[in-house]
Amino acid sequence: MKMPSLRMPERVGWRDHAVGGALGLAYVVWLLATAGAVGVPRDEGVYFRAATDYVGWWRLLLERGHDALQQSAIDSAWSINHEHPVLMKTLFGVSWWLFHMKWHVFADASTAFRLPAMCTAGAAIWITYIFGARAWSRRAGLVAAVLFGLMPRVFFHAHLACFDVPVTAMWLACVYVHWRAQEKRGPGGTVAWALAAGVLFGLLLETKHNAWFFPAVVVPHALFVQRRAILQGLREARVMLPASLVSMAVVGPIVFYALWPYIWNDTLARVQWYVDFHLHHDYYNIEFLGRNYFGPPSPKSYLPVMVLATVPTVTLLLFFVGAFDRGKAGAARLVAWVRQTVDGPASDPGSRDPLETDLLLALSLIIAICPFFLSKTPIFGGTKHWMPAYPFLALFAGRGFDLVRRAMVRALPNRTNRRTLAMDAALVASVALGPLAVTAHASPFGLASYVPLVGGTAGGADLGLNRQFWGYTTLNAAVEYLNGNAPRGASVFISDTTWEAWGRMQEEHRIRSDLRAAGAPHEAQFALVQHELHMNEVDYSIWTAYGTDAPAYIVEHDGVPIVSVYRKP
Amino acid sequence: MSDHHGPSDAVAWRKWAFAAVPIAGLLELGAHVVQTHSVAPRGDWEAARAYVAAHAAPDDLVAFAPWWADPVGRETFGPGIATVQREARADETRFPRALEVAIRGEHLPELASWRKAEQQRFGRVTVTTWDNPAPVHVLEDLVSLVDPARMRVSRVDGAREAECPASHAGVQSGGLGFGPAVPSERFSCPGGGFVATSIVADLDYRPHRCIYAPAPGGGGSVRLHFLDVQAGQALVGHHAIYVEAERDRKGAPVTLTFRAGGIVIGSVTHHDGDGWKAFEFDTSDLAGQRVELIAEISAPSGDRRQYCFEAVTR
Repeated sequence: MKMPSLRMPERVGWRDHAVGGALGLAYVVWLLATAGAVGVPRDEGVYFRAATDYVGWWRLLLERGHDALQQSAIDSAWSINHEHPVLMKTLFGVSWWLFHMKWHVFADASTAFRLPAMCTAGAAIWITYIFGARAWSRRAGLVAAVLFGLMPRVFFHAHLACFDVPVTAMWLACVYVHWRAQEKRGPGGTVAWALAAGVLFGLLLETKHNAWFFPAVVVPHALFVQRRAILQGLREARVMLPASLVSMAVVGPIVFYALWPYIWNDTLARVQWYVDFHLHHDYYNIEFLGRNYFGPPSPKSYLPVMVLATVPTVTLLLFFVGAFDRGKAGAARLVAWVRQTVDGPASDPGSRDPLETDLLLALSLIIAICPFFLSKTPIFGGTKHWMPAYPFLALFAGRGFDLVRRAMVRALPNRTNRRTLAMDAALVASVALGPLAVTAHASPFGLASYVPLVGGTAGGADLGLNRQFWGYTTLNAAVEYLNGNAPRGASVFISDTTWEAWGRMQEEHRIRSDLRAAGAPHEAQFALVQHELHMNEVDYSIWTAYGTDAPAYIVEHDGVPIVSVYRKP
Repeated sequence: MSDHHGPSDAVAWRKWAFAAVPIAGLLELGAHVVQTHSVAPRGDWEAARAYVAAHAAPDDLVAFAPWWADPVGRETFGPGIATVQREARADETRFPRALEVAIRGEHLPELASWRKAEQQRFGRVTVTTWDNPAPVHVLEDLVSLVDPARMRVSRVDGAREAECPASHAGVQSGGLGFGPAVPSERFSCPGGGFVATSIVADLDYRPHRCIYAPAPGGGGSVRLHFLDVQAGQALVGHHAIYVEAERDRKGAPVTLTFRAGGIVIGSVTHHDGDGWKAFEFDTSDLAGQRVELIAEISAPSGDRRQYCFEAVTR
């Protein structure tokens, strides 16, 4: 039997999927290896419970279908957390049921709950590689995939059974499939890719409401790509719409509806409630430059400062190189078009890229970040809410790497293959080692970690940037202090951590099961303060309640307090 | 000799411009290694503690810089040095000297105008002694008078004045949104009000030790009688409402009025958004006398009027 050659052909194909898949798999393995140190945040506790209820309903559907389809059964299972659609929570539940309850692959339920989100992170890396390889070069795809995975905030959020990394992956997948759907193919191929675009858009809608902005990416892009055909059609008095858009408009909502049983009844009212919930979302707090923001107007500098402070600087530098190159090319086209329009009969100078990849990538990035320049947009999520932009930032960085590498080859000609390989490896290492070191060091305190440009974790604290939210660092307080020092049966004021999250970590023996959670400092022998600016008031309450202002122990990251543990004298 | 920068220089610059990227990458890696290895070890903090313990006088301020390092300072120095009185100070003016314990070359902005007297380094921790160029002399601190022997409290509703006796009960505290903790020693009013010493988080989330006296609202007031107070040239203080009750700027204003011998010394109103706000009244007419000083707190509404004030005579 003849084995297929492993040498990469010019055309991107299955070998590239093997490379992308391997990168994604390695990332998932890394996430699994580090997940144990990441405590359960507030939101995750709710999603775990929702996931359990949802999968319970699916099991009921398989066992007693008629009963499951009664509204009472649907509402009983799907009412929890109905402010978010259900794709990921359903997958969390399925993973929990299969890999924890049934097959015992994971001893911890939370790791099983988290696995699907981790897999979406791996998938995002895979797609980033393929996208970059097809758009520019394998080298660009590889560097883009690696730099995307080595963003400390992406790495942190990828651990969690939440929606931010999944919606990032889904946004990216949708853009990719939409892009591929614009290629000229036979009727069968066109329909298949268009259908895939519709299904994926439905899944994006079912993942998180970032999806609402997605049409602003694909509609202008598809219309621009198909402009000649559309104009030609109009001249012939027929309306021609890109198949992928039609599919997204038709198939997308069907998938969204079909996968969310909660909206099967009282559909309009429930969808309206869901939309209203997010249009009028509460403003939770976030610290930015030493000030706590509880509501609008959100500072316009928030996004740029946070991107500078959390995305590795070399990644941003490569992004600027790549984006400048593509921007220059786009500007040259525009100038040529204007000149032709002014000087003579207007004609579209066209592009060497019929898929208008630059435009699509730019729109995908810009639309994902645009809402965060509006003063009414809540900013309490920190960087996680604009994470769908990051694969595209990384793709431009991959393009930037290509250009830098090309310049290196020009500057250092006449090299042997071995030397070329060594120089390439050195160049990759020079741009990847910093992000790797920063990302690895950030875990599990990913929200407290800032890049060296602003001075690292301590620099972020100096600037008055948020150190955490959701109270997930209680686990670290338990591992580092409580588990070893609290007397048997001691009570602990858990502050920002929810009872659900605390209970989950006890069930998994990450926190000693004899410790009892308490709702107020004076009711407890130990009290925790998860350091965020607005948690200071809890700190001062403890001073009064315990008659001391000295913590017994502090969980730190690079010398910066993350959790103070007080012990009642 | 002329210095030519011709086209060849530009070509050379462009040729090697790519190197900026790998250099930036390596610099980022190097900076990360340096930053993560520059954390002040506990031994340095302990050495600084020993120095401060030996040199700080009881009326000196001991403070930690930057502010985010304060928990580490409190943990290492302990409540005997990092006292609540120092940590939750009203301001810095009352301290003649400050021992500032700093890392990363930081300096508290509050001490910017103070004179540096001495500096000692303990590895990565620096202790700087600062002299206050204009320390104020405090005659009497009202917060320290919150004691049944020196203070009476009453609740006033129209013409009726009901005594709020000193009591001992369990501490009341809570999580986010609860407000300042209520200590076990307090004056409890009929109908649920109280007065006690607590620590309020101001609009900037800074701690201040103060007299926690929530305004009852509804036309009523809470009246504090400070007995046998040494009056001076001025009555100076600060007041605030607990941050969560103040930050939305929707609450009723709270008025604090001081009287002595039936004469109003001064009145000040705290509006939401004022934060930890200073006030000062001239008491030169009373200087040198020992008086019963009455502080009365009122507000049109008592809804979340978690009010706290402090004052000293000078």
